[in-house]
Amino acid sequence: MSRRVVAALTALPAVLWVLVLAPGPAAGQAFWPKETPKLPMATTWVAQKAKLPPYTPPRTPDGEPDLQGVWSGAGGDNNSVLEEHEYIDVTTPAQESFVSDPPDGKVPYTPWALAKRNEILAGLARGWPGESGQRLYTSPGSFCLTAAPVFSFDAQEIVQKPGSVIMLSDDAYRVIPTDGRPAIGQNAKFWLGNARGRWEGHTLVVEVTSLNGKGWFDSTGQFYSENTRMVERWTLVDANTIDYEVTVEDPTIYTRPWKMNFPKRRAGTGPSGAPRGISVASTLPPVDNDPYANESWETACYEGNTESLRSIHSLGYQWFTGVTPPR
Amino acid sequence: MRPWFVGFVFGLAAICAFTPAPGVAQTSATTSYAPPRTRDGHPDLQGIWQALNTAAWDVEDHHASLGVPAGRGVVEGGAIPYQPSALARKQENFAKRATLDPESRCHLPGVPRITYMPHPFQIVQQADKVSILYEYQHAVRYIYMNGNPHPRGPIEWWMGDSRGRWEGNTLVVDVIHFNDLTWFDRAGNFHSDALHVIERYTPTSPDHMLYEVTIEDPKVFTRPWKMSMSLYRRQERNSELFEYQCHAYLLEQEWNNPASTLFEKR
Repeated sequence: MSRRVVAALTALPAVLWVLVLAPGPAAGQAFWPKETPKLPMATTWVAQKAKLPPYTPPRTPDGEPDLQGVWSGAGGDNNSVLEEHEYIDVTTPAQESFVSDPPDGKVPYTPWALAKRNEILAGLARGWPGESGQRLYTSPGSFCLTAAPVFSFDAQEIVQKPGSVIMLSDDAYRVIPTDGRPAIGQNAKFWLGNARGRWEGHTLVVEVTSLNGKGWFDSTGQFYSENTRMVERWTLVDANTIDYEVTVEDPTIYTRPWKMNFPKRRAGTGPSGAPRGISVASTLPPVDNDPYANESWETACYEGNTESLRSIHSLGYQWFTGVTPPR
Repeated sequence: MRPWFVGFVFGLAAICAFTPAPGVAQTSATTSYAPPRTRDGHPDLQGIWQALNTAAWDVEDHHASLGVPAGRGVVEGGAIPYQPSALARKQENFAKRATLDPESRCHLPGVPRITYMPHPFQIVQQADKVSILYEYQHAVRYIYMNGNPHPRGPIEWWMGDSRGRWEGNTLVVDVIHFNDLTWFDRAGNFHSDALHVIERYTPTSPDHMLYEVTIEDPKVFTRPWKMSMSLYRRQERNSELFEYQCHAYLLEQEWNNPASTLFEKR
């Protein structure tokens, strides 16, 4: 381990050791020097994509725009903090907001919901600004829970079959019917919701309903509810880039619909240009011609994290069951 | 490293050594059904499938108890051929199964138990792999058919490492690199980290597959043994996999339960 990494590790507050050392959700955890320039996200991407020439994607044998392949996640700080922020600590460098609309990059909560959000933020007990030091909730991601729309923030392989688009990750999947079948009734609620896809021109539009409202967008308690509807738009804007945009609608907790936007890069097509943190992976020498490079191997996050679950429970965090907006 | 095909040869020998017990479904050698083909010319096994038996509770013959239906075993020849000390451990597992079964803590059930959990699964075929997407715990298995052998061990995975090939219309899957933390069923039937599984998926009609599994584990059993069962294509119009994120429900239930044993050190 390099001296820079050791020095960075000693600066970590004690509670973060739980997350850093556990395999699973912190696997691939990067450590960021204080000098890291602000990582790009929505603002940079919106400006970049405005300058792209028009692009006509290739088609699958069934005539759909071909989005198939392995695609990166949003990158950056692993969606630790959704909105624009300055350097916080070695795990969380300065970064632009994921939010592209409204232009101020902030989630447009109603006053009731904003108070709830601030209550959650105050109770994270990580030693970060805005916290009271009391423990309330910790991120559902800490429990290896797969939730919408975070599945889309991470890397996946896209496979297209007649009547459905299938997204494969190392420990989960989405099967998105594109055959026009109806969604399940709204009383059936899921962590990933129930997805229905359709093609609009070059774009795969995915409507997600039947959300259980128990997931967070990030690790700071940016939440949605069981009334939320998300509409994703996946568009190939050049041979190696998907423009991923999601519109989030929920009049019970937001004053207006809002959007997040970032690029997903085709795996193996080179760095995104953003600086990278120091991680165990980045210190290993690359293996040339690794025949297993394209394989996705088991991660077993929940099975591997029983110790950190025990710690979180013994520290007194409560279980987040979603919010109940007033009528 | 032990190339996967070495284990496959042993597995084939084991299959040939068995005479199926009376009443067991036809073997893969006896079906004449020819399935449709994918664009790249392979048998098309794609779609949503599910087992319809009681193997998830007990793979051997068993009577009913509260919440558990009776069932005929799926083990060919009747009994699992445990070594004597292993049989004692199985009996202890059975006595304490409600808390000892790793699946009761929502851990991944391993192979082949994931196949006969009472949830559907979906097969997706591509040039480089067959993917099996399971509703149970949104588990995924990537069965690589890209020419790569099993990676070098030691590796201990819950779901093992799967490498596939076609043998006529049968998908043959060789699985090694298991940990010893899964059971074959709720009844305490177990294995070691030396487990070697060979699965055979053979379509026998447009809506049926024969699923045969050879189990080898020289640390636990006196010889290889075999399970077989039918898999059924889900017939509902607009059939789809839903979500069963087991540990979410378990953690939510147990988090505020002062009598919970879920958070104890083991």
